[in-house]
Amino acid sequence: MATESGPAIDPVHQFSIHPVVPISIAGQDFSLTNSGLFMLLAVALTCLIAAIAARGDSGVPSRMQAMGEMAYEFVAGMVRSAAGEAGMRFFPLVFSIFFFILLCNLLGFIPYSFTATAQIIITASLALLVFLTVLIVGIKDHGVQFFKTFVPPGVPIYILPLVVAIEIVSFLSRPVSHSVRLFANMLAGHITLYVFGSFVIMLLGAGAAIKALAILPFAMTVGLEALELLVAFLQAYVFAMLTCMYLNDALHPGGH
Amino acid sequence: MPYQGDDEDAKLRARLSKLSGDLKGRGAAPPPPPEGAQPRADGTGSAMAMGMRAGSEFVAAIIVGTGIGWVIDRALGTKPAFLIVFFMIGVAAGVWNVIRATSPKGGSSDRNSPLSRAEPPDKDLRRSPPGAGQDVLHSKRGASDGAAQAPGGVDDDED
Repeated sequence: MATESGPAIDPVHQFSIHPVVPISIAGQDFSLTNSGLFMLLAVALTCLIAAIAARGDSGVPSRMQAMGEMAYEFVAGMVRSAAGEAGMRFFPLVFSIFFFILLCNLLGFIPYSFTATAQIIITASLALLVFLTVLIVGIKDHGVQFFKTFVPPGVPIYILPLVVAIEIVSFLSRPVSHSVRLFANMLAGHITLYVFGSFVIMLLGAGAAIKALAILPFAMTVGLEALELLVAFLQAYVFAMLTCMYLNDALHPGGH
Repeated sequence: MPYQGDDEDAKLRARLSKLSGDLKGRGAAPPPPPEGAQPRADGTGSAMAMGMRAGSEFVAAIIVGTGIGWVIDRALGTKPAFLIVFFMIGVAAGVWNVIRATSPKGGSSDRNSPLSRAEPPDKDLRRSPPGAGQDVLHSKRGASDGAAQAPGGVDDDED
């Protein structure tokens, strides 16, 4: 860390977790942390928006209702295109995951807020939820047939063990890539924003002529902010999309 | 004219109740099929998503493969053997993931993967890539039909 005087650059400080409301039950630490707070906030906002959108008490659709319908159509289209009509069984799951991640990502843009999706434990939990759902639903619906996913048809018997091993590793790598992608994108984005933001401060704190240079990192920060908005949406979309694709494997193992 | 005003009011009210009745009737109707609903992330957005996806799938498979090898080694005490083997399997799985992720039809499942799609009836064609498999298939069919055409020619009129 920077030890000299002036603003110290500590880009990962924003990700530190600290308790907001200390709660202790039976000697265990159940404190509400800033991470939990912002996740609750994301859930509450999603519920609030959905509740307002679904009110529909007037004959004329309000803007919120139009937005809610667009959100529904967007996620429903995603589920149908990736997992077929049978996948609509999991529409609530995909919808919740998409909006939870989107809201967490977007809440992270508010200054002094906390980005819950930049914690690997959060994204890993979500990815494992999807992974276990795929596993449980696949085995419950198809029994042993589900394991045909690992045995592609039309492979000669002498390389089958190798192919099956590759398929299993490929299957097991899903939750890893699923969670790391979201986590790494959010983490890297916020670190980049922080670093460029602190360049502005450092240049402004420097001598007279150098002050003018501060416009350069500032412009960069503005551009990055736009990019990060895109990434925030895109990563929520990618996460939900992959959820649909993995669920498709549970519904149609072996590609049938 | 207060009387006519009331009349119009009543008419409007009747129309409103009829419309809301219609709306209720429509509520049960199935939603229309999505046409352009899903690919909102188009153009550069989707390309970016694809790039990030391919990279992370590749790395994740290697990490998982190596991890499995390491765990097996630790359990069996065969220090580097399984690590090496599973590292290689991990690399293969990573490449496989990337192929699957970037194959045209979204690569949603095995059905769309080139390896299992290339499932020609002929036994010795099984391991060939899809393009080559089709090529040979076409030329074979052409040959069995008795058409004395070059494989390229057959390809042209087939597609």
